[in-house]
Amino acid sequence: MTELDASGALTPRGDADVEAASGPDGALGAPPGAARRQTVWADVRIYLGAVVVALVVNAVLLLAIGADPLVAYRQILSSSLGSVAALAQTLNRMTPLLLGSAAVAFAMRAGYVNLGVDGQIYGGAILATGTAFALYGLPAAVVLPAVLVAAILGGGTVALLPAVLRARRGVNELFTTVMLNFVAFYAADYLSTGPWTDPVAGEAISVPIGAEARLPGFLTGGGHIGILLALPLVVAMAWWLRRTRAGFEFRAVGGNPRAAQFGGVSLVATGVVALVVSGLVAGLAGGIEVTGVHRRLILGLTPNFGYMAVLIAVLARRSPLGAIPAAFGFAVLIVGSDSLQRSVGLPASAVFLFQAVVVLAVLYFEVRRGGVLAAVRGRVGR
Amino acid sequence: MAEAASARGVAVRASDVAVEMAGVSKRFGSVQALHAVDFSCRAGEVHALLGENGAGKTSLMNVLAGLYRADAGTIRLHGRVVEMRSPRDAIAHDIGMVHQHFELVQAFSAFENIVLGAEKRVWSMDADRHRGAIAKLARRYGFDVDLDRHVRDLEIGDQQKVEILRILATGARVLILDEPTTHLTPIEVERLFGSVREFARSGLTVILIAHKLREILAVADRLTVLRRGRLVGTLDAADADEPGVVEMMIGERGALGTASCPRTVVGPGTVLAVRGAASAEDQRAVDLADVDLTVRSGELVGVAGVAGNGQKELVELLCGLRPLAAGSILLGERDVSRCSVRERIRAGLATLPGDRIREGILPGAPLFESYALGLHQVWDHSGWRPGTVRDEAQSMIGRFRVVAPGADAPTAVLSGGNIQKVLVARALAIAGQGGDSVLVAMNPTSGLDVGAAAFVHGQLGAMCMRGAGVLLISEDLEELLAMCHRILVLYRGQIVGSYEREAFDRYAIGAGMVGSGD
Amino acid sequence: MTPTDLVDANLLRTMIVVATPLLVAALGELVLERAGILNLAIEGMVTLGAAAAFVVLFAMAGLTGGVALSLLSAATAATVVGLVLAYLCVGLRANQITVGLGLLIFSLGAASLLYRAVVGVTTSPPRVPTLTPEAVPGLAEIPYLGTVLFRHNLFVYAALLLVVPVWWLLFRTPLGLRIRATGENPKSADSLGLPVQRIRYGAVLAGSALIGLAGAFFPLVLTGGWSESTVGGRGWLALMLVIFGRWRPWQVVAGALLFAYVDAVGFVFAATSRLIPVQFLQMLPYVLAIAVLVQVYQRAQAPAALAKPYDREARY
Repeated sequence: MTELDASGALTPRGDADVEAASGPDGALGAPPGAARRQTVWADVRIYLGAVVVALVVNAVLLLAIGADPLVAYRQILSSSLGSVAALAQTLNRMTPLLLGSAAVAFAMRAGYVNLGVDGQIYGGAILATGTAFALYGLPAAVVLPAVLVAAILGGGTVALLPAVLRARRGVNELFTTVMLNFVAFYAADYLSTGPWTDPVAGEAISVPIGAEARLPGFLTGGGHIGILLALPLVVAMAWWLRRTRAGFEFRAVGGNPRAAQFGGVSLVATGVVALVVSGLVAGLAGGIEVTGVHRRLILGLTPNFGYMAVLIAVLARRSPLGAIPAAFGFAVLIVGSDSLQRSVGLPASAVFLFQAVVVLAVLYFEVRRGGVLAAVRGRVGR
Repeated sequence: MAEAASARGVAVRASDVAVEMAGVSKRFGSVQALHAVDFSCRAGEVHALLGENGAGKTSLMNVLAGLYRADAGTIRLHGRVVEMRSPRDAIAHDIGMVHQHFELVQAFSAFENIVLGAEKRVWSMDADRHRGAIAKLARRYGFDVDLDRHVRDLEIGDQQKVEILRILATGARVLILDEPTTHLTPIEVERLFGSVREFARSGLTVILIAHKLREILAVADRLTVLRRGRLVGTLDAADADEPGVVEMMIGERGALGTASCPRTVVGPGTVLAVRGAASAEDQRAVDLADVDLTVRSGELVGVAGVAGNGQKELVELLCGLRPLAAGSILLGERDVSRCSVRERIRAGLATLPGDRIREGILPGAPLFESYALGLHQVWDHSGWRPGTVRDEAQSMIGRFRVVAPGADAPTAVLSGGNIQKVLVARALAIAGQGGDSVLVAMNPTSGLDVGAAAFVHGQLGAMCMRGAGVLLISEDLEELLAMCHRILVLYRGQIVGSYEREAFDRYAIGAGMVGSGD
Repeated sequence: MTPTDLVDANLLRTMIVVATPLLVAALGELVLERAGILNLAIEGMVTLGAAAAFVVLFAMAGLTGGVALSLLSAATAATVVGLVLAYLCVGLRANQITVGLGLLIFSLGAASLLYRAVVGVTTSPPRVPTLTPEAVPGLAEIPYLGTVLFRHNLFVYAALLLVVPVWWLLFRTPLGLRIRATGENPKSADSLGLPVQRIRYGAVLAGSALIGLAGAFFPLVLTGGWSESTVGGRGWLALMLVIFGRWRPWQVVAGALLFAYVDAVGFVFAATSRLIPVQFLQMLPYVLAIAVLVQVYQRAQAPAALAKPYDREARY
């Protein structure tokens, strides 16, 4: 039986000697207030340090393909934040990243790793598109909510199989969710080149959905209100985790599944909730992409956003709220490097490299810092 | 404390000294595990290292075996200063350690485990030569084991033989045995000590880490006692008297045991009744069968047994984590056989699981959340108000004198004893909800210092006083003999004996624990 | 599509070709996992290996030694990623899942950038000639079997035979015993004085090199080109194969052939079948992987210390 530490935290595992890390009866370290201030400051340094490392690494790479790093960085910022239209684009990009990473972070809080956000986004997109076709011509007030609900259910459906297999057969969701990414991808490929294909386009693109299934605009330049749907949802997830009894039980499973069981928490139920809710949220991202951005089902809807979502969730330390700034930062990079793609021919996936360097640098600094708490967190595996 | 050693008049001739550790200190986080400890032992002797749990015995030997790097101090082997940076260095100096929790590769055969350290070549293995050498060692010390069986299929006693053989096969001349008798039956202990004497006869130096004094006095040549990370003294076994050594081990605090039988009136009311219970088949666990047990109001019932005879499974069966294949479990009048863990907690069943860190707490979460886990099932407020929970935990910290920086501190910063206090407080709060409540406690004092153990024992007694029932599942027979109204003996998943307090018979119970009872 | 098509000699021949990168990558991953390291970056490392091999072939078009150099560069590129993995996960004991995913993304990005840096921006993707199959004299003339088994390039045979040294290393040498001990119980190995960290480093680097080599098979034998979707999940499949093979080399070979067969059915029938849409055939390996996981997972004996960092002074 594989035993994977699914906590997915930024922390090393197994370093902790709880007895040893703790005080002898009577002697404990600094008061928590001061410790917390120190921790926050250390965190700030870690994130800044990581960004600097990534900037330097990326500068070298940009030089390697013959681009001026400073010009490139300026272009990244101006193309993603330089105008309202640019900001709208960035928020558009941020929406699926935020939903995806909040979905991943949520499951991670219970100790589950959902690597299947890409597949769940496709699941949501497929059901959303199908629903939009089925309800063609009905009033927008009916169609749009129905399409988004369908998207949510689509994502949940894709996540249901890993959830059931985990609960019933103990199959690690890490592997099943990845495999379903490919299944969902080919399903979308089939639909967009087969039954739903747009004969004019000649690519893996479906015919467009009706105007009644389109997400209203926001700001200018093609922005849509997806971010206004995503933000409250993410805040609600954070609230549920912190402020409800069910959320407490959910986090307890992530903190120590065995102790949670002794405390009367069902691992099976928690696992199903973790993965299915994660899928539902990711599914909404698919629906928003279809109704807000592409207005049809296409292949390459959100290329590798699922893995990026995991990186963002890691950067955010499994906190849905923390995913907000992290997803924004990633969106800036994606929009910025899209424009670099046009100007200096930077390949689209080069942005992965930059993102990965940020995350790996944070991991590096975090692990190097060590510290009792970093070591203790996530120590109890499943 | 070094004067204590000389004061006891132990003179050591330098030429004899195989190992000499001087001024060894080791710190873990904020815990000073060893304070400038001196230790020495002679070639060819059996040297017992005594002390309570947490006295630093294992830490000191881990330093000698290269597992821990000392913060200060020197190690001399036969008069020469050596540097112990890793177990590799220790092995190179012919020092080997058999750990309390064996370090065997479960998926390997006994032979592979032994040859792993003995074979120095990289690309080819001389299996025949190794088999010959191992067989010779095994014959000499009386370790007959089937070398081709997987370690995971071996009995615990045989695993220990493999563990010792693999250390001997590295060529060790100094053999450290950490609590080697923990998992053994009395007969196996006898045999092991026979082998230990044989080691010494053949010139090996044996260091025995132990906390049970009686059995050690019979085998050791000399004793060294540690207390709270400091050396108390070294003396010849011939000069040692039991009360004197006990005093050295536990210090001024005096009394040997803190456990005593609660003087409660055992009521007629049954709080826990298990009838013909059997656990569902599970290849990875001991299957329980035909378990009958009754705990009455105010009664403290013990379950004795050698580790691995179904104790863990019994706890799981009672608290609802292990499915019941047959029979029934009643809490008071209520049949909870089909109830979930949650419902059983609500019905007044509290558990102190055997592994307090892995099964009890949320290490990274704030203390108040660890305290609330499980207890939250019986709180009437359906929501989750961190403020209220924090206040409850804060008051608990005060009432039980838990040493913690506060209810917000991460649980993992607490010491083992304080973690257990929190878990006991939680169990009391669950079982104290009224009705027919019962506490199932597994090894509640293992690894605790005297003070913390006394606290736990006191609280178990107090629970009985309040009319609850306690089922104490413990591998420490002395604890059970001291505390219980009744002792049941668990062997291979079955209850094989039951003894009322007035009929306690240490030897009969001991025989039952190893399956040789009547 | 008729039943005889399913045992067609050319289909089975394709199966063997398709199996090679899967097998080599899975054997690399096997070495890593036997030492207790889980490498979720495998898909990225294969992609990077493929890109590195392709750019060398492209740059050295026709020059002698190009093939050898492309193999070398594929192995080197993946080994560099493996070095980072080893440093973070073995040296610093970081979480293997997060590091693995970080390096997955890193490798995907690095592969694209490498391709862009060497090949530049082109309208149509350049191709290099794939290695030509060579008939084994005599044996290739055997009906049916000759086509299936004896009309392959030398590198295909080398890849298939790679299982022998890997098996021999892991299960017949003291070094292999040490590697496996490190993956099962690092503390046990450590207490016997074995250098756990060094063994893990070595296993990660050696395994990564194999994973990179697996990538080289895509441009060399299968596609003759490189794109971001060339590998298309076969790295992930290799990861599944290790579980399918229950961490044993010979079972991994069986798994590689099975998955390659399903993959090859997709390849071959994509053009001919009208009954089943291509995409469903392409989906098959992944559906099979899930089915296999369900069947195998519970009984599989993973190395006990897989994905667990080792710290000597930790008492738990």
